[in-house]
Amino acid sequence: MSGTVTSLPARAGLLGKGEDFASIGRAVTGAPARTRSRAWWIAFAGACGLLGVFAVTLAWLLINGVGIWHNNNPVVWALDIVAYDWWIGIACGALLTSATLRLTGAAWRSGLDRIAETTAILAAAAAALYPIIHLGRPWVFYWTLPYPNTLALWPQFRSPLVWDAVDIISFLGVCLSLWYVGLLPDFATLRDRAFEAALTESDERGRTRRLTLLKAQAYGILALGWRGASTHWERWLMATRTLSALALVLVVSLQTGASVMLSGTVLPGWHDTLLPVSFLAASLLAGVGVTAALSVLVRRALHLDALITERHVALMARLMLGLGLASAYCYATEIFSSLLHGDAYDRAVLVRRLSGSHAWAFWIIVVLALMPVQLFWFSGFRRSGLVVALVGVAAAIGSFGDHFMLLIVTLSHDFLPSSAHPYSIGAWGLATLAGTIGLFLALLLLALRTLPMVSIAETRRFAESHPDGRPSGERAPTLAETDSARLWGVSAEFDDSGALAAAIEALKQRDFGARVETYGPVPMRRAAETLGRPAGILPLLALGAALGGGIAFMAMCLYATGFDYVFDVGGRPRFSWQAFLVPSVSFGTLCGGLTALLALLFQNRLPRLNHPAFAIPGFSRASEDRFFLALEAAGPRFDPARIEQALARLPQGRPLMVRRVPL
Amino acid sequence: MRQLFAPGADALLRLALLTFAACLAALPVVGAGLVRSSYVTGVGVAPAQPVPFSHKHHAGELKIDCRYCHTTVETQATAGLPPTQTCMTCHSQIWSGSDMLEPVRASYAKDQPLVWTRLNKLPGYVYYNHAVHVTNGIGCSTCHGSVTDMQLTYRANAFEMSFCLDCHRNPEKYVRPKDQILNMTWSPPANQATLGPDLVRQYHIRGGERLTECGICHR
Repeated sequence: MSGTVTSLPARAGLLGKGEDFASIGRAVTGAPARTRSRAWWIAFAGACGLLGVFAVTLAWLLINGVGIWHNNNPVVWALDIVAYDWWIGIACGALLTSATLRLTGAAWRSGLDRIAETTAILAAAAAALYPIIHLGRPWVFYWTLPYPNTLALWPQFRSPLVWDAVDIISFLGVCLSLWYVGLLPDFATLRDRAFEAALTESDERGRTRRLTLLKAQAYGILALGWRGASTHWERWLMATRTLSALALVLVVSLQTGASVMLSGTVLPGWHDTLLPVSFLAASLLAGVGVTAALSVLVRRALHLDALITERHVALMARLMLGLGLASAYCYATEIFSSLLHGDAYDRAVLVRRLSGSHAWAFWIIVVLALMPVQLFWFSGFRRSGLVVALVGVAAAIGSFGDHFMLLIVTLSHDFLPSSAHPYSIGAWGLATLAGTIGLFLALLLLALRTLPMVSIAETRRFAESHPDGRPSGERAPTLAETDSARLWGVSAEFDDSGALAAAIEALKQRDFGARVETYGPVPMRRAAETLGRPAGILPLLALGAALGGGIAFMAMCLYATGFDYVFDVGGRPRFSWQAFLVPSVSFGTLCGGLTALLALLFQNRLPRLNHPAFAIPGFSRASEDRFFLALEAAGPRFDPARIEQALARLPQGRPLMVRRVPL
Repeated sequence: MRQLFAPGADALLRLALLTFAACLAALPVVGAGLVRSSYVTGVGVAPAQPVPFSHKHHAGELKIDCRYCHTTVETQATAGLPPTQTCMTCHSQIWSGSDMLEPVRASYAKDQPLVWTRLNKLPGYVYYNHAVHVTNGIGCSTCHGSVTDMQLTYRANAFEMSFCLDCHRNPEKYVRPKDQILNMTWSPPANQATLGPDLVRQYHIRGGERLTECGICHR
């Protein structure tokens, strides 16, 4: 197992047989080419058609106002909040899945976390539109944010409208950070492959096509000069875990916040203390459902069967079964508690949910969300990609029924029979919903075509590097070239991280007047430990920023509502700090997330597009399947000849090649 | 391996990132400055009028009472703009041949009002009543500035919501005795801190809470 480079427990069935570093890189980076098919174009045309519908509905909305969704009194919240809650529920469920699997160190996240995070971002983007377009005057959306305005007003921090604004911004901030940090090493792989292609072109035709080079440079800028140094990797591991922890806090706060928002009113059906939990369970089911469906789609469309295996699909199915049971338990408990100790209004809501004019919403939950997952008691269904995808989509649709039932059934009847009004979504409402689905699909299809939809780095962490014993093909600098030039250092190439770590351990005691660094396509835990480089204070910085940001936001709310802008809202107390908790937690996690991202870049001295290490011969394979040891000149005792000698006399794991690297 | 990026690329990328960050930071600052600038608010800018009417000459030097022209300021929501006839009460007698006053005479002769460029506009959703303010201790100059010093009339204050709320939250800082309402050079006396609350009681101004209700202005 000398090629195994990580402490992740490698489990059978999570990777196709015979997959190694190089084949994973090839499979993922080559995958986008497969989407250049007729099917992709048909799907993209369909998604763009839905986007067109969205544009028309938005225009009609701006002309006519939110009444086109049949909003009325008392159903003042209708499609806008139902669809917002639905999308953000899917986003939260997907992000929570990815974050939890990463924090618990589950090996089977490898094929799925990128898809889950992409789902989360796209769903959050679709969700983000609703709070804006339902404002009536969306172009002044910034009025919901605190800023020194000429109105001498603060936003109403007790209002969920402000929570939504802060929540959405924070969610996108944290989720995009997590997603981008995860993508950094993958972008480096894409960059190196594109650059290799450009170099091959220039060797064959004598010149490089401009587009090929531009592509490499675009990926190069996105990778921010990622070199895969052991220090980079250690901080990268720390940053992804920190961001996952923050995402966990954010998602729980956001979902429970959404349910607490309901209990702020006095309407029947919104006052169960189980509501935060059932919100979480239902959103998780929907998020996992969409993630599972997309995993199957990605697997099929990009032919990634070796990376997203049958076992991944089966595990998602098991997860859906568990969440489906949890969700069913929540619904049952809600019904029983209403029957046991609910008041008359509470029981009336229950009756209307089950048999009223909107009873279809409840039965959609039962038929599409709770029942199909029961199929997964049988292993045959768990292994079928098609069944898992269909059940996943059904769970998402069922979740829409959940939000519809919860909001509309309660709103359309309050305490006065006279104020009861029927409600239906209407054609424009459905068109708006379809439009946001179009947005989700269009962005997803573009992502399928341009981005690695399976994390290369994560998948490689439990693959092997398949040593082939041949040095990489690049021409070594001639003696004349290195003799006259000033040396940056001496590099040694290994095809196995175990040999690399052994080399460092052997060389560690000796003083070469050099700074030792290792570069590789995956985290090199043993090398990093030997080099004695702790990941540093990144999580502490993020924690500090999160606490500071959260406290600052809470302090601002308290100052605004308690001192500067005392405003009587229905006799609510001046210091209603409970109402400020949700946006404070969200803003805190945003501060922590951005700090983690910035700390990762600053500590790693990134971006650094041009670095002497890139001049190491064959270095592009440091993002592929090779490991490099670099001894950088750092002092008067630096003597390349002595280092070369020491490298040649290593007790075990001799390097494939040792080279001098000019500055 | 050759380098994909030239050594200068780092400096360029960092410059681009810094510029982006600086622009992002500058955006709200510039925006906040712009909406407060006289370019947007029109404060201190005297627009062209059909006749270069001077408040400084009429109200300041000749000491014509404000209410001679703005007749309804104490009784109605609007202060009232004088009809041409009011101008002609004097200008049929003096400066009756002045070129500058030709539009006034033409207006009088054709029985068509002069079209002045409006200085102080409030949005349609704001209800404002001159009489309520003028008869309850708020002087002309509080909002319109020292009009008697204006050769050409300009907007003295941007009537943004914060301007109104400033006073509505702390009326005691701005109320004056009845005899000071038309005083264009009034500034709060040294004992305003004790005088103000007395006046607020005297005028029956119901505290800041009532005055900051949304419906007090937005009806």
